Order: sequence, then structure tokens, then C-alpha cells
Amino acid sequence: MKDKLFQLAVSKPKIIYWSLIAVTLICAAMMINIKIDTDPENMLPDTQHERVFHNEIKQKFQLHDAIVVGVVSEEESGIYNLGTLNAIAQLSQQIAKIEGVITVDLMSLQTVDNITQQNDAIRFEWMMRQAPESLLEANQIKQNIERLPLFRNTLVSDDYKAAAIYVPIKNKDQSYRIASEIEAHIENIETSNKFYITGLPVAEDTFGFEMFVQMGISAPLAAVMIFILLFVFFRNLKFIAAPMIIAMATVIIVMGMMIGLGFTVHIMSSMIAIFLMPIAVVDSVHIMSEFADHYKKNSDKQRVIKQVVNNLYKPMLFTSLTSAIGFASLMLTPIPPVQIFGAFVAFGILLAFFLTIIFIPAYITSLKETSLESLQAVATKSKRLETWLPLLGRFSFKQSNLLLAAFLLLAIGSVWGIAKIQINDNPTRWFKADHKIRIADKVLNEHFAGTYDAYLVLEKDNSNIIKDFREILTSLNIETQEDNSVSLGTEINEAIFAIEDKLFESDDSSKLELALEKLDQLKSKLATFQQPTNLNLIENLQTALIDTGLVGKTNSLADAVKTVNRELLSGDDKDYLIPNSQSGIAQTLLQYQSSHRPHDLWHLTTQDYSSSVIWLQMKSGDNQDMSKIVEAMNVYLESNPLPAGISAKWAGKTYLNKVWQDEMVYGMLTSLLSAFAVVFIMMAVLFRSIWLGLVAMLPLTITITAIYGLIGWLGKDYDMPIAVLSALTLGLSVDFAIHFVQRTRDLYRETNDINQTFELMFKEPATAISRNAIVIAVGFTPLLIAPLMPYVTVGFFLATIMAVSALVTLVLLPIALKALRSKL
Amino acid sequence: MKKIIFTLLIFLVSTVIAEDKKEVASIVKEAYQACYYPGDDAQRKARMVIVDGQGNKQLRQFNIFKKDKEDGGDQDFLVVFEKPSDVKNTVLLVNKHVASDDDRWLYLPGLDLDKRIAASDKRTSFVGSNYFYEDISGRSLQLDNFVLIGENDNSYKVKATPKDPTLVEFEFYEMLINKNTMLPMRMEYYADGSLYRKAEILEVKTVEGYPTVFKSKITDLRTNGYTLVQFRKPNYNIGLDEKLFTERSLRNPPKNLFK
Repeated sequence: MKDKLFQLAVSKPKIIYWSLIAVTLICAAMMINIKIDTDPENMLPDTQHERVFHNEIKQKFQLHDAIVVGVVSEEESGIYNLGTLNAIAQLSQQIAKIEGVITVDLMSLQTVDNITQQNDAIRFEWMMRQAPESLLEANQIKQNIERLPLFRNTLVSDDYKAAAIYVPIKNKDQSYRIASEIEAHIENIETSNKFYITGLPVAEDTFGFEMFVQMGISAPLAAVMIFILLFVFFRNLKFIAAPMIIAMATVIIVMGMMIGLGFTVHIMSSMIAIFLMPIAVVDSVHIMSEFADHYKKNSDKQRVIKQVVNNLYKPMLFTSLTSAIGFASLMLTPIPPVQIFGAFVAFGILLAFFLTIIFIPAYITSLKETSLESLQAVATKSKRLETWLPLLGRFSFKQSNLLLAAFLLLAIGSVWGIAKIQINDNPTRWFKADHKIRIADKVLNEHFAGTYDAYLVLEKDNSNIIKDFREILTSLNIETQEDNSVSLGTEINEAIFAIEDKLFESDDSSKLELALEKLDQLKSKLATFQQPTNLNLIENLQTALIDTGLVGKTNSLADAVKTVNRELLSGDDKDYLIPNSQSGIAQTLLQYQSSHRPHDLWHLTTQDYSSSVIWLQMKSGDNQDMSKIVEAMNVYLESNPLPAGISAKWAGKTYLNKVWQDEMVYGMLTSLLSAFAVVFIMMAVLFRSIWLGLVAMLPLTITITAIYGLIGWLGKDYDMPIAVLSALTLGLSVDFAIHFVQRTRDLYRETNDINQTFELMFKEPATAISRNAIVIAVGFTPLLIAPLMPYVTVGFFLATIMAVSALVTLVLLPIALKALRSKL
Repeated sequence: MKKIIFTLLIFLVSTVIAEDKKEVASIVKEAYQACYYPGDDAQRKARMVIVDGQGNKQLRQFNIFKKDKEDGGDQDFLVVFEKPSDVKNTVLLVNKHVASDDDRWLYLPGLDLDKRIAASDKRTSFVGSNYFYEDISGRSLQLDNFVLIGENDNSYKVKATPKDPTLVEFEFYEMLINKNTMLPMRMEYYADGSLYRKAEILEVKTVEGYPTVFKSKITDLRTNGYTLVQFRKPNYNIGLDEKLFTERSLRNPPKNLFK
């Protein structure tokens, strides 16, 4: 197979050219269908039960994605001055008119209701329908907000310096347009206030845009960097063209196929191009160097290229396979974007290998004689490296004891550092610190109770009620179908409605009336969160949440009930209480619904009151903080168990981020360990020696340990990009070891003299390894100027990893191999 | 010649306008009468289904009693809740005044509390439904300017524009008034240039000589939520006691008035 392909390549190079061009063009054409995916939720498979639950809750309680507009006033009175209030009123009215905004759920001082008492009469009125005309009125608004726990520190910050407008939107894809329209309105408002626009949909949209920028700039930049670097090394365009063509073709085919197969481009997969570029170059550089070397001695190009391909086939196959395995191991991590990234980079590496062994022979065959002659002049040796590297070799032998001690210390220090690693991530921090979204996030969280959301969902198990309900219906010979699309409360209401209609026509009514009576009782029973004990339970949970110290504010049905109850009674704080009967609560809630915005209630409870949410506002979106809250609540519920049948579950984006972070850590550990095992077995097979296999694993083991140790010591959070690095390091840095061990063995068998072997090793082979390390490391550096932090992190650490692992290979392997020379 | 035609035209147009003004005022007055003042007093049972945009349904059942002090003038309403049972015997009393603010009272048996409701804007929700208080007790004719914008054999089309637009959430509304019954069969509310709220009368029967609404519906076109109200057992001129409509009777709502 390999020989046939080789024959085809050298005899009919045009076929190879044209098919490569055709495939590349087809794949490039498929890129038109590119779909950018920036939803952090997609870090979890859409079947993941936490995610399914989160979306159910979002639907059930109508929790829309919202753009948050913050207004900050530096005036003494904070936002309670006529200018700022006028700006808020104007802006709210304009936002309400923007297409795609869910007007009825728009929350601002201008759109919410005030509930109060006036001369002993309860009163629902708009908080601020029109901007106030006097400071007295402005002050009245301030006092009103102070008394309403659902708005205080949510609509206006407790320091009065900031107000917020929450703009729920129908479709996240529209958030960029809507945010721009809001910005345009802000421009037109004459005000000295500062405005900030943030919120998850805006962040996601902006992220998508910057991802495009990254792909459009960083990847081509990487190509340019590699091109320049290769030119510096080899100073021959014909020579450089081959690896560049392979790199380009590989990147285009892989990206095109991925997009063509319908995968979305996520933060991870947007990095595929920049990963493949340097890796794809490496093999062809090897072949071209060897060819240039050998061609000087023998000018039969077909024989030379055949010999070169034969020589390099095995080590190239193995390095490609090990790198591919390193990336493919990411598929064991249960995070779809990481899996897709791993799969396509692995595929790309194998594709690059395949292209190298068929395209390079075809390329060389079709080069003109003059071009080939110029190749002979290519400097396959580097003077600088070849003077410097042997020194390194001599040093490592001379100081071997010192080096071993140093590596041992490094290992201990690293393990210590690893123990200190903080697992943490926050998608907002994917933006750089000076990004306007980061600034808005920071400013708003300084003022408000928090812009990060999570929900603690309380649900009652209603299986008994369902059973009774079915029995009642069966007794009346009413056919029922279980309808999961509507809530149980709605089903019961529909049954009541139907029975009443029957009652109207029927003569024998006693049976139907009895059934109606029973159904009405079932409804009361179903209304778990209209019962005083359960509202008290919500209150207690809220206190426990605040006691964690990590929750800025909680909002719940209990708050709404207590507020209305207070205004129904004395209006004083002493009546800020939950009524002590279910009917009292039901009637209080009926009053709540006599406001301008009765539907606000359904963000806190289902309409049958069988389920209720506590809305948490947090200042931090760090997974770590969310984990601590979840942990603290677990401990709390351990000692204060929920009543039988009631469950508490988490939802909300911040919680979902925590879930995928957890999955990431364990997933990456599995990926790393399994890739380690597979690569080790491959090494042992390749070298037919367990010892040599172990030696080959040494550099990457030390590198990974050292890098993660460093992360631990630096206090850098172990986040998504960092987690992905481990498997990559493994796949890439084992390459150096394979080449080093293989060449040492070959030379030792030739010379039978270990000292001479290493003298030779530190010339051409060490140079090749160093060059490859430099090419890959430099190839990743364009990531350092990327606008988004994950790219910067990956770029920085990969460059470091390449450098460290090459150095460890060149310093440590000679010592190990010298000791194990009998195994060579 | 031109001048004569022109003068004639002016004369014609101005007559039409004059007639129009008179006409529209009496049309809306008659409609108001037909809606809110049939009989000297009246009672009926109401069943309300509130359906939100997601298809969730809530039920309310209540009895409505009313007594007019004067046709087109002051009148009293009493709304007594029957269901859900948790709100049973919750009572709302409205002493509607044409010349001043209404007096509204509330009785909550669960809290054993009677409470006055402050006079404020009446476009707040009626117990969580798509009906406003104003839809139940009637929006005063003094608040809007009316223009007759269309007419056919069956109905008048009247456009109403609020005199003070800051007090309401709509820009204007249009009524389709049935010429026979004078009931506004359709009312369409516009805001920001588009239709967003629709009130419809779906079923009318004549009871004791009065065209009586048996089914009506209000839809919020922004959320696609709607509220359907069905009325039963309407009676007119039953001689309801005035004392029924005072704060004192809140705790003892009328029972067994319905046969």
C-alpha cells in the first residue's frame, strides 16, 4: 500500500497535485456553512441531566436571557437625581420599543410597580412611569425602593450609585444588534452618567466576534511566523514551500470537514488551525532536510527520496500516532467541544503524515534540475546550534549527579505545587481584564448584590396527588391522557372546567359536585408553596444561602408574600411576615396579582405553587465559589433536612459552569492517564524494551509535572485551557524522545561506542529536535496577542512546554540512556 | 362659481363634522350604558380562565353584583370570590363615582382583614388576569376623545384617544360597536404603532330584554396570553339591598342569591 502510493506519487505527480487541490477546494467551500457557537452551556452535552433540568426550569419559570444595562452616577445623591432618573426613564421607554425585547418582562425603575400604603389604603402604582420633576419625588422613589426587597440592590444598588435595567430578549442571536441599538440610544441621551452594558448574551456574542478575529488573524499569523522561521533556518523558498503547502492543505481540509460535517466552531475548535499548523510542518521539514542531505551524495532523486521516506517512515508514523493519541485522548473527556477538538486535531495530524509521505515525493519528483541543485545548497546544519548543543551534551554528562539531584528536587517541588492547584474557571474571565465586558462586570458587581445568577429550585413530589387525580377522573368515567406538556395544576384546572360544563347540562349533579370538591382540595394540597411551613422553609434556605458569605442577595416567593402582607396590614416592619394560614397566603398573592405586573410572580413560583425557585445573585461567577455554595448548602441540608417529598436542585448558568468544570477535571485526568498508558505501550513496542519505553516517557512526565507544578505555585487557576494542555503536552513532547532514543540506538549500534554515539547525537539529531521544538513553540506565539485569554494561556504554556520538554530531552535522556546502554 | 362650490363644500363638511361629533358622543354613551348599566341592579356568576403564553391555566370563580344609582352615573359593584377555595369569600367592593375617585374596598377572610384600596390608576390587573379593574367597572367616557372612523349596516367603528396619554399604556383604541345591541364587540388597543391588546365579546344572549354578555375574552398579543370569562345565571332588577354595597357587609357577603 505504502509502496504503491509512493510509486503513484513519483510516476504521476500531477494526479497527486490535482487531487490535493480538489480536496482542499471542496473542503474550503464547505467552510461557508460555518456556525459559531459561544454558549458556555454547550460545554455540556445537551442530554446532560443538569443541563436538561436547567432548561426545563428556564422554560417553566420564564427565565429569559437578559442584557444588563448599568447606569452609574457619581453625584452625591447617587442615581436619585433628576438627570439620572430622567435618563433611566427615557432609556427604558426606548428599550421597550426595540424589536426582539420582551417588553412585558423589562425590568427598570420605569417599568416596575411600587406597592405601598397610603392613608391606610393599599396601593399599586408605577414606581416611576415618568421621570420625576422634583427632588422630593426623586427622594420618594428612593424611599419606595428601600422598602421593596425584590428591587433593592437589584434595580438600584445599596450605595445608590448605580441603577440597572434588565433587558430580557427573545433570541440570543439578536443580542449584539439589541445592545448596539441600546448604545445608540445612550449616545442620544444627554447625561453625565456612565453606562455599562453586559449580561451573558452580550458576552457570548462579543466572544463569537473575537473568536472570528482570532481565527482570521492568529492562524495566518502563525503561518507567517513559521514561514519566516523556516526561511531563517533553510533560506530556500522551494524547500519551504513543501511544508507550507502541507500545513495549509491540512488546516483547510480539517476545518472544512469539521464544518461540513455540521460541527459548530466553538472556542476549542477555533484553535484547531493554530495547533495543526506547526505540527503539520514538522514531518515534511524532516523529509526535506534528509533529502537535501542525501541528495548531495547521490543525485538519483527517485532513489534518494525513496530511501529517505523509507528511513523516516517508522519514526514519523510513531510520532504522528503518539501525537494523535495525545489529542484523541481528549475524546474521553465528557465535554463535547473538547472531544471535537481532540478528534479533529488527531485526524489532522494523521492527515498531515499521510500528505507528507505522498505529496513530498511527488513534489520533489516534479522539481526542475536547477531547483534541486539549489536544494543541495540548503544548510541542513546550523552552525550556531551545532556549536552550542554539544556543549550542552558535555555539560549534562559532567554534571549528571547535580542534574539528577536538580530534577529530583524539581519533581518534588512540582508535586507540591500540583497539590496547591486551584480548580477554577469563569467564562467572563475569558476576556482580558481591560475588555469593556470585564470592566462592566467589575463595576456592576462593586455596586450591586451581584450579576451572576443561580437558582435553587424547590419541588414537591406529586405522585400521590397524581394518583388521587386519576382516581377521581376514572370514577367519573372521564378519559385522561397523561399530558406532560402542561403542569399538573393546569391539568386539574382543565378537569374542573370540563366537569363544571358537564354539571351545567347534567341532572344528576351530586356526584360531579363531590368530584369538584375533591379536585379543589387536591389543588390546595398541590399548592405546596402556598403553605406557611414551606414558605418558612424558603426563608430559612435564604438565610443559609446568605450565611455562606458568597451570595449577595436572594429573591423568593416568600419575599413577595411578606412585602404584600406588610402593606395589607400596618405597613410597618413588624408585619413583614408570612401569614400563618394557606388561605391567608393565597389571598395575599391574589393581591400581588392586582399590580401592573402580576406575571412577575411566575418567575418565582409555578402557577400551581408546586414548585418555587430561590434566585441567587452572586458577585462572583467563579466555579470555585459556586462549588462552595453548593457544598455549604449540602452541609446545611444534612443537618436541616427538607420535609419529606420536597427536593432542592440547582439551576442557572453559574451552576452549569461549575458542572462542566467538575467534569473537565476528572475527564482530563482520565484522558491523561489513558493516553499515558497507550503511549507507554507504544514506546515499549517500538523499542522492544520496557526500559527504553520508560526512558522515552521521562521528558514528558517531567515536563507535565513541572508545568502543572508551576501553575500551582503561580496560583494560576486550573481552567479549561490549562486542563486541555496536559494531553497536548503528552502527544507533542514524546516526539522528541522518540527521535532521540531511536537515533541514539541507531548510532550506538553503528559505532558500538557510547561516547562517540553521544558526540554524534549532539550534532545533527539534536539540531533537528531543537529546530522542531523552536518551530512549534514559535508557531504558537501568535496566540499571545489574541484578544481572548484562553488563547493567550494556551499559547504561553505550549511555547513553554515545547522549550522545557526539548531541553529535558537533550539533558536528561543522554544520562538515562548512558546508564541503560545495555538495553540499546 | 368656484367660490360657491367651495362655500358649499365647506358647509357640507362642517355639517358632517358637527353631526359626527354629536353622533359619536351618543354612540359611546349608549355603548357604555349597554355594557355597564342594564337593569337597575344585576347579578351573575363568572368563571374566569387565565391562560399564559405557555398554556398554563388558572381558574377563578366569582359572583358579581351591581346596583346603579343613576344610569350612566354612580354605581356599586360587589365581587365575591368562590374559587379557588383558598380565596373563597374574598370580596371586592367598588363604589364607583363619576365625579370623583372610586372608593374600593377589599376583604380577605384568610387574614380577617378589610382594607381600602387606594385610588390610583385603574389599569392594574384584575386578580392576575388580562382584565384591568377598569375593564370590570368601566372606563370613564371623560378620559378619551372619540372619533367615528367607520360605519356599516351592523356596526360603528370608533377610535378613542386618551386625553392624558401619560396615564395609560396605550396610544389609542378602536371599538367595533354592534348597532343592535350597542355592545362593543371588539376593542383593539394600540401602543407604539401596533396592536397589542384585544378585547372581544364572544357570546351575547338577551336576558329579560337586555342584551347580555355570556362570554368575553381579552388577549395580550405580546405574550399570547389571554383571559376568557364566561357568565352564567344573569338576573336583572332583583331588588338588591343598598346595604350590600357598604364596607360593613364585606364580612357577610350575600349567599344563596342564585337559584
